[in-house]
Amino acid sequence: MTIKEKIVGRLLLTVFALTVLVPIIVILVWSFAARWPWPNLWPQSFSLRGIQEIFGGYSGALQVLGSSIVLSLIVALLAVLIGTMTARSLVFYNFYGKRLIELGTILPIIIPSTVFAMGVHVLFIRFGLADNIGGVIIVHLICALPYTIKIMTDVTAAFGCKLEEQASVLGASPLQIFKEITLPCLLPGIISSACMAYILSFSQYFLTLIIGGGNVKTFAIMMVPYLQSGDRTIASAYSLVFICSTLLVFVIFEKTAKRFNKNGSNYFFV
Amino acid sequence: MKKLFTFSVIILVLLLALCGCSQGNAPSSTQFDPNADFETLVEQARGTTVTFYGWGGDDLRNKWLDTTVAEHLKEKYDITLKRVPMDIDQILAKLAGEKQAGTEQGSIDMIWINGENFYSAKQNGFLYGPFTDKLPNYAKYIDQDSPENIYDFGYPIEGYEAPYGKAQVVLINDSAVTPETPRNTQELLEFVKKYPGKVTYPALPDFTGSAFARNIIYDIVGHEQFADMPADKETVKEAIEPALEYLRELNPYLWNQGKTFPATIGQVENMFADGELVLYMSYEPYVAATRIANGIFKDTVRSFLFDKGTIGNTNYIAIAQNSPNLAGAIVVVNEILSPEIQASLYGELKSLPVVDYNKLDEQQKELYDSVDIGPGSIPQDELLAKRLPEMPAHLIPVIEEIWLEEVVGK
Repeated sequence: MTIKEKIVGRLLLTVFALTVLVPIIVILVWSFAARWPWPNLWPQSFSLRGIQEIFGGYSGALQVLGSSIVLSLIVALLAVLIGTMTARSLVFYNFYGKRLIELGTILPIIIPSTVFAMGVHVLFIRFGLADNIGGVIIVHLICALPYTIKIMTDVTAAFGCKLEEQASVLGASPLQIFKEITLPCLLPGIISSACMAYILSFSQYFLTLIIGGGNVKTFAIMMVPYLQSGDRTIASAYSLVFICSTLLVFVIFEKTAKRFNKNGSNYFFV
Repeated sequence: MKKLFTFSVIILVLLLALCGCSQGNAPSSTQFDPNADFETLVEQARGTTVTFYGWGGDDLRNKWLDTTVAEHLKEKYDITLKRVPMDIDQILAKLAGEKQAGTEQGSIDMIWINGENFYSAKQNGFLYGPFTDKLPNYAKYIDQDSPENIYDFGYPIEGYEAPYGKAQVVLINDSAVTPETPRNTQELLEFVKKYPGKVTYPALPDFTGSAFARNIIYDIVGHEQFADMPADKETVKEAIEPALEYLRELNPYLWNQGKTFPATIGQVENMFADGELVLYMSYEPYVAATRIANGIFKDTVRSFLFDKGTIGNTNYIAIAQNSPNLAGAIVVVNEILSPEIQASLYGELKSLPVVDYNKLDEQQKELYDSVDIGPGSIPQDELLAKRLPEMPAHLIPVIEEIWLEEVVGK
């Protein structure tokens, strides 16, 4: 690499880093600021309202954050399970109505979620799924599955089944094949789709509100009213906690995956 | 493999635990006897949970409900108040869905509501009532002859909602930036011309933007004629034509030449706080005091009114028709009308109380007299002296439509 290329590379990297970091720094400062008019570089007055709202105890934000993370983890796990199995059947098998099912997997992204929410709400009330956590998990799954299935389909297709067949020929049991070959090789895709499903579930506002009916309180449900009312201090404090908790969960995903895969190759991991 | 199995088991257990949490201990409303006396209802409500659905974008109000009101209810009646932040449109959508599916027991007990939304909720049979006759505090402390307790935006209440707090439009600017306080639309025009590009209002149908436009209309053509006006576009347009003319005259001097308007009052507030605008309008009469206390506005900010007055409304609490805990909801609404809670609404929340001051005893009056409304605000008696009635609910969408056609960008 020439020096010129190096400089350009560094420069690009810096620009990319700044476009991510600067907004986060602004949010961080706004979490403590009360008045920060343009073009001042530093707030004119500060306030602890945002911190009190989240850590003061009276709003219950931290408990909700905890239960919200668990809820989204469950959605991510189920989405990955269903996504991986669906992808496998779509890639490796031929069956009647395959094209229809393939189309069906992307339908939830095509229909606007507000329209979809209204219809699903009436249906869920009849099934006894409205106003409870089960219904919310299912509706989050419906939103997350198109993405997980798409990611897993591509990964499964790229990986193919040759290695599995090879192992089978050499006498490995199905469980061994799954453990030693399929899972390690699909793991990068599984992590990506788990992250995708997690973030879709964690940031879901309208569907949670309609299906959960207020009985299921998630972090997004507490945060969005402040985003809408333009309360910059409190909205920033919520956003900061939102970003940090999500990053933390993603890091845990990666770490867990690496531990599962410690004997395998690190080829897919950076 | 074992790890994976353990992990799945943990997730399953958590899942079950979560399901357990979300099942409230709401009693069956089949036990509810509409003729029971209040004492019986209090007994029935003991140990239950009452949900309160409403807009959740005001941290001060949220905190007040979660702490002051919730703790008071827990102590006095052993009732748990659960506040659910939800916009009224979504609440109505939820009630509509439940009605369509024939749910006899929903999850909403109390709803924070008024105006057009009350009109449509009552029209559609989403509300339980009449219930105000079951509230001892309503009989004791509320002025039942006041028009605001008979009509909500011109629509008869008939006991389907109880007053919660009063609001009134105030205009706000910073005395350090703008020494003048326009007292009528003529002076406002001069003000806008003096500070071109630094005044605007939220685009209708924003709640506050719409109220501001109605206030302009009142100042120019008066308010009496609207009380029994039919919701006919031509009639309304003819009546408000001078005001439309005035609003169009403002446009060239407004922010972005009146080609566009901020979408929400939240944006206008932030622009005012940032000094990008020199005028702010609010339906919360004591907003200046609370924002100064929070450090969002400078302490030179003050509120003022038009000489002819500004629009005031009352916001209410209604009870859902399919409420799972009617007894609890009635007890809570009654308690919110108590002089003590209303005094804390006035003192902590800085909202106008709905109890009739003349119906209070000396000790209770003291609670209200001792409240310091804070800097930049107008005393309660002055506000109430200049309070104008809201327009009938059915005219408001018509005016909003006309504004979009005749004012924006013209």
